[in-house]
Amino acid sequence: MMDALFSAWSTSRPLRLSDKLWRIHWPVLLTVCLLAGIGTATLYSVSGGSFQPWAERHTLRFLVMLGIVVAMATVRLDVWMKLAYPAYLAALVMLALVPFVGSEALGAKRWIDVGPISFQPSELMKLALVAALARFYFQLPLEKIGKPQYVLAPLLLIGVPVFLTMQQPDLGSACLFVALGLALMFLAGVPLRYFALGGLIAIASLPVIWSGMHDYQKRRVEVFINPGMDPLGSGYHITQSKIALGAGGVAGKGFMQGTQSQLDFVPEKHTDFIASIIGEEWGFKGMLFLIAIYGLLILMMMIMAQRCENRFARLAIAGSATTFFLYVFFNLAMVTGLVPVVGIPLPLVSYGGTSMTTLMIGLGLAMSAYVHGRAGGR
Amino acid sequence: MTDTSDGDRRQLDQFTRRSLLLGGVQAAGLGLVGWRLFDLQVMGAHRYGPLAENNRLNLQVVAPKRGRILDRSGRVLADNEQVFRVTITPALAKNVGGVLRRVSRILPLTDDEIAKIVARTRKQGRNVPTTVASDLSFEQVAHLNLAAPSLPGINTEFALRRRYLGGSSLCHVVGFVGSVERFTIDDDAVARLPEMRIGKSGAELGFDGDLRGTGGTQKVEVDARGRVVRNLETVDPVAGRDVTLTIDSELQQLVGERLQSGGTAAAAVLLDIQTGGIVVMASAPGFDPGAIAGGITTADWQKLAQSEDKPLLNRAVAGQYAPGSTFVVVTALAALEAGVLSPGERIVCDGEYEYRGDVYRCSKREGHGSLSLHEAISSSCEVFFCEVAARLGIARLSAAARALGLGSTWNFGLSEEKSGLVPDPDWKRGNLNAAWLGGETLLTGIGQGYLQATPLQLAVMAARLASGRRVVPVLEKRDGISGFVPLGFSEVHIDAVRQGMAAAVNDQGGSAEEAKLGAGRPVVAGKAGASKIFIGYEPAETPRYAIATVVERSNASAALLARDILNFAVDRADHAGGKTPQGGGVSPTGDDTGKAG
Repeated sequence: MMDALFSAWSTSRPLRLSDKLWRIHWPVLLTVCLLAGIGTATLYSVSGGSFQPWAERHTLRFLVMLGIVVAMATVRLDVWMKLAYPAYLAALVMLALVPFVGSEALGAKRWIDVGPISFQPSELMKLALVAALARFYFQLPLEKIGKPQYVLAPLLLIGVPVFLTMQQPDLGSACLFVALGLALMFLAGVPLRYFALGGLIAIASLPVIWSGMHDYQKRRVEVFINPGMDPLGSGYHITQSKIALGAGGVAGKGFMQGTQSQLDFVPEKHTDFIASIIGEEWGFKGMLFLIAIYGLLILMMMIMAQRCENRFARLAIAGSATTFFLYVFFNLAMVTGLVPVVGIPLPLVSYGGTSMTTLMIGLGLAMSAYVHGRAGGR
Repeated sequence: MTDTSDGDRRQLDQFTRRSLLLGGVQAAGLGLVGWRLFDLQVMGAHRYGPLAENNRLNLQVVAPKRGRILDRSGRVLADNEQVFRVTITPALAKNVGGVLRRVSRILPLTDDEIAKIVARTRKQGRNVPTTVASDLSFEQVAHLNLAAPSLPGINTEFALRRRYLGGSSLCHVVGFVGSVERFTIDDDAVARLPEMRIGKSGAELGFDGDLRGTGGTQKVEVDARGRVVRNLETVDPVAGRDVTLTIDSELQQLVGERLQSGGTAAAAVLLDIQTGGIVVMASAPGFDPGAIAGGITTADWQKLAQSEDKPLLNRAVAGQYAPGSTFVVVTALAALEAGVLSPGERIVCDGEYEYRGDVYRCSKREGHGSLSLHEAISSSCEVFFCEVAARLGIARLSAAARALGLGSTWNFGLSEEKSGLVPDPDWKRGNLNAAWLGGETLLTGIGQGYLQATPLQLAVMAARLASGRRVVPVLEKRDGISGFVPLGFSEVHIDAVRQGMAAAVNDQGGSAEEAKLGAGRPVVAGKAGASKIFIGYEPAETPRYAIATVVERSNASAALLARDILNFAVDRADHAGGKTPQGGGVSPTGDDTGKAG
């Protein structure tokens, strides 16, 4: 049945490999390389002018992932469509298993160890959720999108992983799932009245959510509202980060001159708080440039989505773009003290394999969708 | 066909519209962040303007001083000592290995150790100081400071180190501290300090929240070399609270030595019946807590952790044992309460008991003959209690065991605390997925089968029998002790059991005769479970202490161990001029003290 649906929108001959490579959106990949380059330069600077211990590994990791993106782009779209639900189920099972087999880091279990590799099922879920929602709307006839039961089903697809990650507890990922899922439902054409209704319900249930939160989560929200309450907890990181950003000023102190952060005042400076290093060394100008690059990347991907005819392709690309946006927004908002510390890295710039893998595989999916989802693609 | 493409077209239009909307939201989000950055970096830059060129701000974390652990009379069991420490900062040293080799002329550093320190500095930032050695002598510090010009990056500083004064007899109760192994971004910044130590076991862990204190901060201006130029703002750390335990450390010392000399793994708990205070909690074998706090090598730690006789285990709260015949007092009390046995009733023991085709043998092969409850407890007759358990049934038996304190934890301050096990049909169905067998009721009735209890639980059970009240153990000494509420058992029934326990120790040929203290000394009441377990209390008439002892080797005697411990306790009370070493001022006048409510 899926093959039948598939051939309904595309009857042309299959693409050759050279066609596929030609159809890849290279400017997007170039932008991604630029971001990873900014990451490498910053990591080089953070380690006091050394490729060790972070810059070299960051670069190698990125290059490997870049190869994977190109390879993924040549894989036919229906392969990804067939994988969507199984991947979602697998991610769900692993999320459910975390409390039992996961390894714990101070009160929160988020990781699963498989031999020497440990990974976070919530990361896999970010990809799987995009794929599963795109897959769901691919098959759903237009006139059914607004029917309550067909609004409830994707809500369940989003709700179950949200519930499971809340148990870990990993509030950051849970929020990300909600934002990502709702954005995809919005793009898929779910009538606006549902969003209005949902908004009202959300506001009404705030007190219930508050009372259901873990003490440390409540505390984090309270600390966010009043950072003076806890100068040593999450407030400490934000204070250090704000000092570093302020020290950068408009022009910045210059490459490798970011003394505020070089002296290890900024915690997690090579991962979640890397933006404060960039802000100190390159100043406000540098930060604007960085935001512009991310904006350009997201814009190009949203345009990629418009050019596709296949609904799965459109949603997969838009979902991947939205993931990028959410990472960038929440990371920068955290570093500047706009939202509580949530532990979300700066895409492709922060050191760390997990988020890089998630984002690049998402990009690979989007690229495959772009190559095969346009007219003449198959 | 046209319909479909029309629909597709409409949907594509809608998708584009909504993409624009979503894009607008995203642009607004990035705009918000941009505005915030403008605020911080352009408008806020002047806030840090007064700083001199090349100087910068740092928010330093100041570790709080950890609270002390004291015994009941205020003797210090754990405190902090000041030590000198030397660190190296790679960014200033440039050649870490070379500097360390020069340091090795002053401090005994082997090439191996130097290689390890160099490897450690590589793993962290170049500006993070790494500890080279702690516990330096004054001469060494003086030498290092003299040689400072030729030792770039080397810094000597004060540090606090945990010190344990109680020795190995207190190692399990007091526990030890260790460094923070893994921390996440949401943790207290104090956890990141390399010298931060947190409780890992015993009271150090159980009362960690009280002992730890709250970190302070120091906003300082530092120069290009990281040296503090001026202090801008200080929030002092709040030292942790001192925790006073109910433990009598001198008595515990004596008990610890006695356990050591016994040559077997053993545990003992001595409870103050009026307050529930744990006066002695000893477990052997033990370990040297100072060695662990001073930085134990991985190999030594592995040896401790993997040792056959488990020296790290606090057997008094985490060792779970079949209570054996000590449990028949529970069976007896439950049967009296249920009315299936009357205090004067006699049951004949002919050496074996037949139940649904199975034969249970008494420890006395030829049989005890006709027995009253009193004699049955005193002589520890299995057949008697098999019959009683059969009449009683598992539900009433397990309920009585729980009422006397088995199968539960009290959260009194040691997180190693285990709950033991009081089995019943629901438990068996849920955990072994099998139906309860009648014979298992008999086994439970004589303290065998699935039944498991910790020495602490057995001591609580003895205290509850002795006082008739719901005694709850406490480890932290507090003022204003209120009496415990009555158990709700008939005083006549409890008394019948107490009489049996007194006879077991004091009658000619009683099964726990070894626990007798001797002429002119207080009378002990008790019950032994074979030779490995003993529970009891003294004095029998006006109970003050409850005790439970366990020895793991069968040719040792738990009753003898209990006798020695009670003798120590009596001697100590005599030395104190007959004054009880407890706080609270409740006079030990037996089971009618501390009226509830």
